[in-house]
Amino acid sequence: MEKDTEMIETNNAEPNSSSRRSAILLGGAALAGALLAHKASAQTTATVTDPDILNFALNLEYLEAQFYTLATTGMTLQQAGVMTTGGGGAAAGTLTVKANPMVPFQTPLLQQFANEVAKDEQNHVNFLRGALGSAAVAQPNIDLMNSFNALAMAAGLGSTFDPFASETNFLIGAFIFEDVGVTAYQGAAPLISSKTYLDSAIGIHAVEAYHAASIRTRIYQAGTTAQTISQAIAATRAKLDGTNNDDIGVGTTNGAATIVDNDANAMTYARTTTQVLSIVYGGGTAGTGGAFFPNAMNGTIK
Amino acid sequence: MEKISEVIRNKVSRRKFLAGVGSGLGTTAALAVASGCGGSSTPTTTNPTPPASSGVTDADIFNFALNLEYLEAEFYLRAVTGSGLSSADIGSSPGTVTGGAAVPFKTPAIQAYAQEIANDELAHVRFIRKALAGLAVDRPAIDLQNSFNAAAMAAGIGSSFNPFADENSFIVGAFVFEDVGVTAYHGAATLISASANLGYAAGILATEAYHAGEIRTLIAQLGDPYLTYANQISALRAAAGGGAEVTVSGGTIVAADSNSLAFDRTTSQVLHIVYLDATAGVVSKGGFFPNGLNGTITASTS
Repeated sequence: MEKDTEMIETNNAEPNSSSRRSAILLGGAALAGALLAHKASAQTTATVTDPDILNFALNLEYLEAQFYTLATTGMTLQQAGVMTTGGGGAAAGTLTVKANPMVPFQTPLLQQFANEVAKDEQNHVNFLRGALGSAAVAQPNIDLMNSFNALAMAAGLGSTFDPFASETNFLIGAFIFEDVGVTAYQGAAPLISSKTYLDSAIGIHAVEAYHAASIRTRIYQAGTTAQTISQAIAATRAKLDGTNNDDIGVGTTNGAATIVDNDANAMTYARTTTQVLSIVYGGGTAGTGGAFFPNAMNGTIK
Repeated sequence: MEKISEVIRNKVSRRKFLAGVGSGLGTTAALAVASGCGGSSTPTTTNPTPPASSGVTDADIFNFALNLEYLEAEFYLRAVTGSGLSSADIGSSPGTVTGGAAVPFKTPAIQAYAQEIANDELAHVRFIRKALAGLAVDRPAIDLQNSFNAAAMAAGIGSSFNPFADENSFIVGAFVFEDVGVTAYHGAATLISASANLGYAAGILATEAYHAGEIRTLIAQLGDPYLTYANQISALRAAAGGGAEVTVSGGTIVAADSNSLAFDRTTSQVLHIVYLDATAGVVSKGGFFPNGLNGTITASTS
């Protein structure tokens, strides 16, 4: 890997190898470098383009938008009027979900928030598609049924999990996605060349964090059973991405809540695209897929 | 000199940064000095040429942020413990802090939320100070008493407001800061030169967004009078800070634009807000910072 140290000069700060955040940034950067190196045989080095990154994000937004639209309306994204075909005309993939997925909301404030998030994720899909134009990928095959069951098994929560069955289950289902979205955008941001795209990516990144926080606050309020489930899922995500240390569930530690999923420096985590894929594929192989994307994502980063 | 800095910047693309960034920055958690003619490795070396693009260095930006983190840390630490930042965390010639007192929390959950945010803001102060090393500015004078009263008057809440009086007032007090932090970091993100520094900023920004999402959720759940107070504050911020606000409600937990992207603010807009001065023109002190911020970005330009 080419290193250019002329521009990257540190101050006089003493080395601090105990800084977890630093270690994670180091790990993230090294892994991202490894990703580029791994792809060297298939493409020239250092050729992850801005459209590649935006399309990677678009795949995740398709997933979230489908989940929230189904949960709040029972309709698919397509039925709700959001385009999911490729910018060049490629057909959208299949959607696997149980019949009648609309969540039986009973809490008006939660219903209102769920509607808000559905609208946000639809907006994100539309925004990224607009930015990508003809380069936008079609929605790949998405599974919102077997995926949750597999994740429940991996997390030691039983053999099935239906995120549409109840308000609390919906919160847990949403929890699975939002923190991951935050870490995905955070890992991708430094890879973006265009300042305009960077500004937009950070804008989406922040909104995913707002979502994650509101969901996690409601999980906290739902009590220790829900909190414990979230902790099991967070541990599973950290295990799937290979770090075993970059994800915290909802709870209380030393008198402080853990609403924010962040490290000892109070920074949220960054994940490489490889790490994100490991999670959303449920441990499936890059390029092959699994879990939420049974046949992998569409685009270059898959 | 300007041409050379351009050449250096073009030569070292973000992707190359990524490959090399793990070398020193990760372990030292030091701010990458990436500006001018090759950067400076020692804090005492002045950088003769500012970057061609924006005229601010990464250090300038992080010092601007540090001022805001000092303010938040003092607010939350005093709310939770009755005491503010310790002498180790405020520099050699800090300004005084007026106001602040331990909140008589009645609800364990709210106390736990407050403790977490206090921990986070302290961690941000420490991280940025360490990353800036000798370049870190001291804590400026901070006012947590007259400021809130003035804000209450300007916002039409009343002649005074004491966010330390009780836990619900504390939540409204917290609301004053968090969305502003998100917009400030978002606005600064595209001005940051070094990729690693962008990663740090993104990690802090997302934590502030988690805080904001959490606080807005609690306010929506509290309802009036706190919901109205918060929205009066929001209107005040919009007037002083160029819009970039969404009032809080059950279905508007996220502060974002019509594309569901979080807002940006310029440093000038942020300064108008924290100086509690909506008057058009140059403002250089007031409100929460009676003697102004410390560092190079201390006065609005419009």
